[in-house]
Amino acid sequence: MFTTIYPQLIGLCTGTLLLTSALMVWRHSLLASIRLLSVQGFALAALVAVIGLEEGEIEVILVSVLVLLVKGVALPWVLARETHATTRTDEAPRLNPTAALLTVALLTILSYVVASRLLAGETSISAHAAPIGLAMVLIGFLLLVTRRQAGSQLIGFLVLDNGIATVAFLTSGGVPLFLELGISLDVLLVVVILYVFAGRMRNKFGNTEIDQLRKLHD
Amino acid sequence: MTALEAGLLGQTLLLVLAVAAALLTPTRRRSRISGTICTLLAAAGIITGAIALSGGTGSLSIPTALPLDPLVLSPDRLGGLVMMVVSSVGVLASLFGIGSARVASASRTAWLSMAVFLFGMQLVPAATDVVSFLLFWEIMTLGSTALLLAHHATRGTVASALVWYSAMSQLSFFFVLAGFAMLAGLAGGTGFDRLATVDPYSWQASAAFLLLLLGFGGKAELVPLHVWVPRVLPEAPGHVAAAMSGAMVNIGVYGALLVFVRILPSGPAWWGVLIMALGGVSALYGILQASVASNLKVLLAYSTTENMGLVFLGLGASVLLRADNATAAADAALVAALLLMLSHAAFKSTLFLGAGAVARAAGEMNLDRLGGLGSRMPWTAAAFGAAAMGAAALPVTSGFVAEWMLLQALIHGSRVDGEVVSVAASVAMPLAVAVIALTAGLALLTFVKAYGIAFLARPRSQEAKQAREVPVIMRIPLVLGALLVIVLGLLPGPLAVAIGSAVGPELTPDVRTIGLAGVDARGIDAVLDPTTFVMLAGLLLVPVLIVLFVSARRHPTRISPLPWAGGGSRLRPRMQYTATSYAEPLVRVFDDVLRPSRDVEVTHVGESRYLVERVHVEQSVSDVVETRLYRPVLNLMQQFGILARRAQNGSIHRYLSYSFVALLVVLIVVSL
Repeated sequence: MFTTIYPQLIGLCTGTLLLTSALMVWRHSLLASIRLLSVQGFALAALVAVIGLEEGEIEVILVSVLVLLVKGVALPWVLARETHATTRTDEAPRLNPTAALLTVALLTILSYVVASRLLAGETSISAHAAPIGLAMVLIGFLLLVTRRQAGSQLIGFLVLDNGIATVAFLTSGGVPLFLELGISLDVLLVVVILYVFAGRMRNKFGNTEIDQLRKLHD
Repeated sequence: MTALEAGLLGQTLLLVLAVAAALLTPTRRRSRISGTICTLLAAAGIITGAIALSGGTGSLSIPTALPLDPLVLSPDRLGGLVMMVVSSVGVLASLFGIGSARVASASRTAWLSMAVFLFGMQLVPAATDVVSFLLFWEIMTLGSTALLLAHHATRGTVASALVWYSAMSQLSFFFVLAGFAMLAGLAGGTGFDRLATVDPYSWQASAAFLLLLLGFGGKAELVPLHVWVPRVLPEAPGHVAAAMSGAMVNIGVYGALLVFVRILPSGPAWWGVLIMALGGVSALYGILQASVASNLKVLLAYSTTENMGLVFLGLGASVLLRADNATAAADAALVAALLLMLSHAAFKSTLFLGAGAVARAAGEMNLDRLGGLGSRMPWTAAAFGAAAMGAAALPVTSGFVAEWMLLQALIHGSRVDGEVVSVAASVAMPLAVAVIALTAGLALLTFVKAYGIAFLARPRSQEAKQAREVPVIMRIPLVLGALLVIVLGLLPGPLAVAIGSAVGPELTPDVRTIGLAGVDARGIDAVLDPTTFVMLAGLLLVPVLIVLFVSARRHPTRISPLPWAGGGSRLRPRMQYTATSYAEPLVRVFDDVLRPSRDVEVTHVGESRYLVERVHVEQSVSDVVETRLYRPVLNLMQQFGILARRAQNGSIHRYLSYSFVALLVVLIVVSL
């Protein structure tokens, strides 16, 4: 019974991941992006759980719980808390939504083309879904390049990280628990540090536009 | 362990000791202790060099973690000779440093880098493979850079001079590295004995020749890589300038000797022509700039360019004549080049030490503000005078012997048994003789100016008036250097024989001692015996002096008022010749080459057109090579830098875009 719906579950999870990424490019509001990031975290956790059930490994299930807690709950909570605490400014990206969505489509196609070369020998279902992870990495990078505010850039960075995790889970069937624990805590730490940094920027310049950071000072 | 190995090890141990001393001793005693150890380090170099020169063998092998053969240090006779010369200058400079180093030049950095600098210089001639050669070459360069850097806190101009020095020394290092790399690639090994298997007529060998010539020429301060010299040496204290200009340039010459005498002794004739051209241009340009310089250290710095030019002229003549099978003249030219190198090391280090003493006593290097130091600093004046005679190549000094030998080789070189050896030689040799003649004349003028304006007449400033003789510890190296200049000039025979044995065993110059330590170059029928000459001259001079003395007693001199002193007999210091006015005719003659910029500013008294309150004259001679060759290149690089700034504007988004695009390009390339 599970083996028949397994491909569909994988498809559902990865589809959600890609959809949330694309929506993040489309939406300009920071809070909406954070909610989407939370959904993406849940989808990633679900994906890990599905893979764990398929392979029947308890450890992978534990990893999925960890992913759920860190990427689905903790990170969005930290981000949202900081955002609520300050005045909300909407993002004015360097690329208009239509062009951005078109770029997302092109990037997704590119990642499928690349993956078809790289994973030519792989026949497993999860490997077929791997291009989604690559597409998420590229989309995250796109967010980094096009967003002006420090907060939005952070979201781009997290999407990029989610993409890497997705590729890792899909191609190698999960990473050991301790490794995942380390990576997740690292990401959490980076986010906290970057938020402190953004706060300092806001105190200094009144906003968090990265373009202010052009000159080096002693 | 052989004596040579012990000598090499001893130098290494003394370096460690010197570094420790520089770091650990208290400020008050640092100069004395570190200076003494540096002197010992250099003395160990002299002993090691002497052992190698007298045919001692032995080697020190340093294993490396790199995938290379171990570094082997084993100086041959030529290396021993150069090591001796370099170390002798090191002894003089270190001794002088004990007394003269103050504040910045007595800092930890300064003494530490002095030791490293000396060590690097002394061990470059010991290298037997490319890697160790380059290693010690860089140690030497870094040591000298750090040594200069120690002074940057006290004077603002040091920084810009250092930028020039670093850039130029890295440029010459690059040339040497590239040249050796080409040879090593061709030979399939880095040992000098392997490099010797390269065919000198292949195009790679010629490319390597050009690169190496530029590289070693840069270290030897030849045009066009000399631009750092007039900037750096005036900033360096006397003993450092002496070590750089008296010793380090010899390493450049050693590199050239290594390549053109040891590794590729049978190069094509055009190599020789090119070396001669480079040397000739350097000699002329250097002495021209020196003759119009009014800063004593700048003058000495440019004079180094001149002397090294002459050394390379001799070396080039030797290569050219050897290619034309005029072996005897080729050997004589080579011996002459080495003699010149030796004598230059002696007189130039003494001159720079003298300049250091003057700087300490009067705090002034501008000749126009010096004068009258002869009576105030008799020891310094005597030593400087003897060395200046050497630099002007006057008889009984070593400079004279060297230039005489070079001229003999060039004059006799173009013909063997009355037959012209080649068209190139018959054109190049007379031209070279003309260059040397002009150089010698200008050098005489230059050093008459340097000595006469600084030490004779009356002081031109308050500082010069209050100058005092330097302490004994500084006089010792000055006197030693001056004695060397004279003694080397009186003993050309043994010296030439030693040099002849040093360039062997493949080349055997036919020189021997004749008379009282005179030299006899049999291949070109040239004989010189300065000691006999001096004794004969003494015999002739004694009666003349007696007659003069007696007549002077009979007719006491009358002091007559000077007609041009406005009827008064009091001569003011400002009525004297200055360095600038003395060089004025020269500046006019060579106006097209030197292109001086003059600024005359006349202030009139009130409304009067005829009464002048004061006249301010300023004249500066810029370095043509710098303004015409380096400035355009530097400007071009600056333009490129401005362009590159557009790509690097500091925007994080731009940098992120770069990496994003790079990632996309990689992915697209992978998927193709």
